[in-house]
Amino acid sequence: MRFIQHISIVLCILVSSIGFAQVTFEAKVSKKKLGVNERLRIDFEMNQDGDNFNPPSFTGFTVIGGPNQSVSNSWINGVRSYKKTYSYFLAPKKRGTFTISQATIVIDGETYKTTPVKIEVTAAIDKPKDPNDPNYVATNNIHLVAEVSNTNPYLNEAITVVYKLYVAPNTGVDNWREIDMPKYDDFWSQTIDTKGQRVQNGTYDGEDYRYLVLRKTVLYPQRTGELNIEPLSLNVAVQVPTNRRDIFGGRLMTRVNKTVSAENKVINVKPLPEKGKPADFTGAVGDFSFKVSTSKTELDASESLQAKVEVRGKGNLKLFNLPKISLPSSLEVYEPEHEENVSTTTRGMQGSISDSYTIVPQYRGKYPLPSISFSYFDLKTETYKRLSSDEIVINVLGGPTNTASEANNSSINNTKQAVVSNNNQFAFIKTKTDFSPIKREYFFKSKLFWSLLLVPFLAIPLAIVFRRKKASMDADIVGNKIRKADRLARKYLKGAKKQLGKKEAFYEALEKALHNYLKAKLRIETSELSKDRIQALLQERGVESSVINDFIAIFENCELARYTPITNVTMQADYDKAAKTISLIDKQAR
Amino acid sequence: MKRFLQILIILLSFSTIEAQNTTLFDEGNTLYNKGKYAEAIDKYMAVLETENHSSELYYNLANAHYKLNNVAPSIYYYEKALQLNPKDKDIKNNLAFANNMTVDAIDNLPEVGFSKLIKNMTNTFHFDTWAKITVALGFCYVILVLLYYFSFSSVKKRITFVGSITCLIALFITLAFAFNKFEIDKKNNPAIVFAQEAKVKTDPNTRSEESFRLHEGTKVQIIETYNDWKKIKLTDGKMGWISSEDIKALNNF
Repeated sequence: MRFIQHISIVLCILVSSIGFAQVTFEAKVSKKKLGVNERLRIDFEMNQDGDNFNPPSFTGFTVIGGPNQSVSNSWINGVRSYKKTYSYFLAPKKRGTFTISQATIVIDGETYKTTPVKIEVTAAIDKPKDPNDPNYVATNNIHLVAEVSNTNPYLNEAITVVYKLYVAPNTGVDNWREIDMPKYDDFWSQTIDTKGQRVQNGTYDGEDYRYLVLRKTVLYPQRTGELNIEPLSLNVAVQVPTNRRDIFGGRLMTRVNKTVSAENKVINVKPLPEKGKPADFTGAVGDFSFKVSTSKTELDASESLQAKVEVRGKGNLKLFNLPKISLPSSLEVYEPEHEENVSTTTRGMQGSISDSYTIVPQYRGKYPLPSISFSYFDLKTETYKRLSSDEIVINVLGGPTNTASEANNSSINNTKQAVVSNNNQFAFIKTKTDFSPIKREYFFKSKLFWSLLLVPFLAIPLAIVFRRKKASMDADIVGNKIRKADRLARKYLKGAKKQLGKKEAFYEALEKALHNYLKAKLRIETSELSKDRIQALLQERGVESSVINDFIAIFENCELARYTPITNVTMQADYDKAAKTISLIDKQAR
Repeated sequence: MKRFLQILIILLSFSTIEAQNTTLFDEGNTLYNKGKYAEAIDKYMAVLETENHSSELYYNLANAHYKLNNVAPSIYYYEKALQLNPKDKDIKNNLAFANNMTVDAIDNLPEVGFSKLIKNMTNTFHFDTWAKITVALGFCYVILVLLYYFSFSSVKKRITFVGSITCLIALFITLAFAFNKFEIDKKNNPAIVFAQEAKVKTDPNTRSEESFRLHEGTKVQIIETYNDWKKIKLTDGKMGWISSEDIKALNNF
């Protein structure tokens, strides 16, 4: 008996606990934010019947309708659900934030309370929307959003614009049509194909929505400053739930055509920094590698080769010019062939672009392809970078005329091969030299030059003066004779003068000198030399007798002196006398 | 005696430098033949640093630069070699090879008529040679005048008179050539573009417009210098201002 009592108590507790757990009492508002001229509906719902419902005071609001009481009772699969609702329609009295305080109810002797609800009342809204108007519902439930990856990019930096159509869970979209396609005037744009996109779940303004990516576009701004991205407009056929319900209680949907637009987006494009901008910068922005290559480096003249200038990487590949290759003028170069191998993704263009030059060398020699440089703006480091290619040298081996084939032909015909002199060859260095100083004095315009040029001309007047003087000297006969006699005397007495002081030698020399003089003057032989003959001859010549006597006296002195002692003074006197006499004779003799 | 010693010492030192240079030159040639062009250039430059030069030295230096594909230096030294020895065929031949490497194609404006004739005649000798010929003619003239003055036979007088007059005329002509050549050489101030790409501007400042571009190895004439800018003229008559750093003059006055 006690056992049954126990079981009944347990059952009782279980049932009652189930009953207690199921009691809910809550306040639901149609909106938490409304204009001052709008209305608000608040429902107090409970799932068990209660008594003594006590509504809150609704401070800040006037009750314009209610309380309306509704009870619903349904049995589904043997489970009963019960709902009792007290509804109030409220109009706010002023702007501000109000709290609708707790309502109380007594269910099965227990008092239940709702949680207070905060309502924000804003400024008046132009046209209070009828929450049941399908257009209004569609506006609230369908949103077209443009998402821009970067609103502050650099010039030529890739940005993406993604258009998403957000649809609230209780509405549906049948079909859509683009009314206005945005024109990206100041951009280089490429639309990425978005076919086959699936509806995804996301949130919009903190509420659960479904969304579809309609369109993705990659944009490269081509101008700095504030740029507008024009909105995209769609005409969407929307299924909107209405208040009417079908026979099963499900809501009836109406179809509404709605035009939605994404909002206008403004992008502020930064210019590339001027500081450190290289001279060869052509507008490349991104991350690149640069390469110059040739198909071959050794070839014969009139063969062709390809030189390829290639830029590879990520960035605005289609939007800048490749640097031109500068080639020696002696190479024949054709217009380059431009090739682009670029794919565009949401992160921008990537791939490679290249210029292929066809080059035909005409003559043998070495032709350098000078190093060329390519500059770009690196977005990661926000600096300019310069890449330079290596210098390539094309070595043209064969000469301008293809002599090789001729040589081959001749070698087939006869075994002897002609020695072809190739006079068009690069000559070897020279092995011998003479050095001269770099700083060289020039002869022309130097002092030496002018003196050598002018001094000889001075010789002409000098020669004239000299000749004049000679002529005048020749004209003076007496003076000439005297000078001549003096010279003669000195000449003959030279030997004697050397012996002056040595008695015998002196007089011997003096005598010999006098003899010689007479021989020369009177043209007589030594054998004829006697004093009388000399005297006679001199007199014939018209010499004064005193002079002749002096002369003879000297001769006698010479003979005498050999035997008598003679002093140096006498010798000197004799020498002077001899000189004087000879001079006189010379003067007087004709 | 002291003076004599000084002269002797100077002469001796000259001969030792000369000997050193010859060994350097030979070493350079050996290195060149082995294909060590950069080392050969070092040896040749060592000779140049002693303030001595020769046409052959410049020629070998240019060849070494050519082998290393240094366009501008090779053309520069070929031109230097040609200045010292304007008629050498090897230099002209190799210069043509080096000129193949240059980028710019510039037409030559040909000179015609009388001025060309005069120029050709003037260019036959260096102005120093003209000066020496002038001095020799001066001596000839004076000797002939003196012979005329001192000779007595009329035949001799006639010959010497005619001879002296011809000498005098020839003297003035050669003197004129000497001056002309001197002026031409003074005006002739060629330079080689060393920068890989040089911008030629319309005015001597960086702001002014670019009139054309020149590339490494092109020969230009310097007409005028203003601050760091040189006014240049191309052989086809184009003119402009170029930065002094981009070119190197062949004459170092």
